[in-house]
Amino acid sequence: MTSVTVSNKEISGKQLGIMLLALIGLLIAGGMAVNNLLVEGHAAYNTDNLGLFWGFPIVIYDYFLLTSTGLAMVASMALIFGGEEYRPIIRRALWLALAGLLGGVAVLMMELGHPLRALWAIPFSFAFSSPLYWKVMAVSFYVISLLILQVRMLKADWRMQDLRINAMVTLVLALGVTAIAGVVYGSQSFRPFWASGDIPVAFIFESLLGGLAFVFFFTYLAYAFNPAAVPESVKRLFNDRLANLLALAIFIHLLFVLARMSSGLYGNAEGLQVWQTLATSPLFFAEIIIGLLLPLVLLMYPGTRTSPWAQILASLLVMNALLISRYEYIIGGQLVPLFKGSWAPELLSYAPSPTEWLLLLVAIFLSNAVNAFGEVTLRLGREG
Amino acid sequence: MAKWGMVIDLDKCTGCQACTTACAMENNRLPGENWQDVLFYHEGTYPNVKLMWFPRPCMHCENPSCVSVCPTKATYKDPDGGFVLMDYNKCIGCKYCQVACPYGVRFYVDEKAVVQPDIRGVFPSETGRQWDPPYKGPQDDPSRGIGIQPHGVVSKCTFCYHKVSKAPKGVADLDEDIPELKEYVPACVRVCAPKARFFGDLDQPNSNVNKMIADKRGVRLKDETGNKPQVYYLSGGATASVPSLRSMSDSDKG
Repeated sequence: MTSVTVSNKEISGKQLGIMLLALIGLLIAGGMAVNNLLVEGHAAYNTDNLGLFWGFPIVIYDYFLLTSTGLAMVASMALIFGGEEYRPIIRRALWLALAGLLGGVAVLMMELGHPLRALWAIPFSFAFSSPLYWKVMAVSFYVISLLILQVRMLKADWRMQDLRINAMVTLVLALGVTAIAGVVYGSQSFRPFWASGDIPVAFIFESLLGGLAFVFFFTYLAYAFNPAAVPESVKRLFNDRLANLLALAIFIHLLFVLARMSSGLYGNAEGLQVWQTLATSPLFFAEIIIGLLLPLVLLMYPGTRTSPWAQILASLLVMNALLISRYEYIIGGQLVPLFKGSWAPELLSYAPSPTEWLLLLVAIFLSNAVNAFGEVTLRLGREG
Repeated sequence: MAKWGMVIDLDKCTGCQACTTACAMENNRLPGENWQDVLFYHEGTYPNVKLMWFPRPCMHCENPSCVSVCPTKATYKDPDGGFVLMDYNKCIGCKYCQVACPYGVRFYVDEKAVVQPDIRGVFPSETGRQWDPPYKGPQDDPSRGIGIQPHGVVSKCTFCYHKVSKAPKGVADLDEDIPELKEYVPACVRVCAPKARFFGDLDQPNSNVNKMIADKRGVRLKDETGNKPQVYYLSGGATASVPSLRSMSDSDKG
C-alpha cells in the first residue's frame, strides 16, 4: 500500500510536469499563432476562394471534437452496459473528452471570422435547416451533460447504477454530435467525395476508434508510461476486452475507408477523381499500412497484444491515422474546384501553412494541459 | 412580389468580360475575385484545341443550399424580389455557405489576394472595412451585403439589389434599351454589348425573360442539385454545358 502511495505521488509530480510543459508549449505556439493572425489576418492560413474553403483548422477541430465524442461514447457505454471492470477508465475518459473538446473549440475560434459573434448569433438564430446550428446546440448540451457526470463522480464512492440515466443522455448527445458532424459533409450531394448516407455512421465508428485509442494512450501517460505503475484492474481490462474492442474498431474503420476508396476509384462522378491522386499518395499508404494495419496486427498477435509498449504504439499510430484520415476526407472533398474554369487547376493543391500547424500544437498543448490538470486535481486514476 | 431572374443567351455571349468589369466597378470587387465572371475552358491539345466560355453570376436560387446551411441566417432569401443576400452583421465567417454552393460564387473576404499587389494594402481602411478604394459606390447596406465588406465575412453577388429594388413596381422586364428603366438594370446586364443578358420578373407570365425561356427552351445549371436557379441559360435547347474537369484532363491525355 505504501509503495502505491509513493508511486501515486511520483505520478502526480510527473503530471504536474506535463501540465507545466503543455502550458509553456501553449503559450509559445498560441502566442506565435496569434501574432501571425494579428499581422497577416486570415491570410496566414492556406485556404482560398478557388475551392479550398475549409483547411487544416477545421480538420483539427473536427478531429478533436470527434475524439471527444468517442471518449464520451466509450465512457457512457461502459457506465450503461459495462460493469465494474470498466470503472478505472470512465472518469479519465470523460475528463479527456472535455479536454479534447476544449482544444478543438479553441482552434475553431481562431478560424472563424467572428468567433464572439458566433456565441450568440448561432443559438439565437433558430436556423433549424442548418446542420451546423444543430451541431452547435448538440455540442452545448453535450458539454453540460459531461460536466454533470464529472461533478457526480467527484464523490469517491460513486455508483455506476446511479449514473445510468446521465450516461444515457451523454451517449445520445455524443452520438448526435458525431452524426450531425457527418451530416455536415454527407449532405453535400454535389460533392461526391463527401456525399453519402453512411457518413454519419462512419463518423460514429471513427469516433469510437479515436475514443478507445485515446483511452489507451492517456491511461499509460497518466502512469508516466511506466507499465509497473499501472494497476492490475487496468491491465486486465486493457489486455482483454479493450484490446479486442480497439482491434474491432480499427477493422470497421478500415472497412469504411477501403469501401469509400473502392467506390471512389471506380466512380465516374465529377469530384471522385480525387481518389486517383489520394490512393497513390504516401500519406494514404502511411495511414492504411502503418496507422491501421500495423496496430491491428499488434493487437491481434498473441505475443504483442498484452504488451504495454505494443498497446501504446498501436494507440499512438491509430491517433495519427485518424488525423490523416480526417485531413484526407475534409481536404479531399474540396480539391476539385467548382466553376472556376481555367482560373484554377483541375485539382487544387493544399498544404497547411506554418500558422495552421501552430494551431495543431495549440490544440494538443491545451488539451494536454487541461487533461494533466484533471489528473492532478481530480485524481482520475483513483478507481484503478 | 417580383421574382427577379436573369436569362443568358450562350449563343450570343462573346466572352468579352464587360459584365465582369462592370460588376467589379459597380461593387468594388477585388481583382481576381469576381462576383460575376466569364469562365474559360479548353478541351484537347494543340493544334486540336477547343476554347469555350461560360458566364456565371450568382444563380439567386429559389431553393438555395447556401441559405439552408447558414447557422446564423446571415444569408437569406429576400421575400420581395427573390434575391439571395448576405447580412454582414450576422455572418460569423464559418464559410459553410461557400462549401454548400454548387456554383462557387461566394467569396471569403480575408483570403490571400489573388492578384498582387494586394490592393487592400494599397488603400487601407480606417473604419474596419476590408479596404477603402478611391472610388466607391454611394450605396452602403451591410444588412444586404451592399458596400465595402467588413472583415471576417463571406460576400456575394446581390443581383445589383441597390438598383433593381428601386425599379417601378409591376415592371416585367428591366431592359437597358428602355431609357426610363436603364438605371435599375443590373450592371452586368446593362453593359452586355452583344445583348446576351436579359433581366426580368419570372413571376410575370408575359415578361420577356419568361417568353425567351419558353421559346428557346431555357435551362438551369446543375438542376439536379434542387437549388432551382433563377438564372436561365439559352443554348439552343442543349444543356448548359460546362466541360467537366475530368473530361478536360482525359482529353489532354489524348
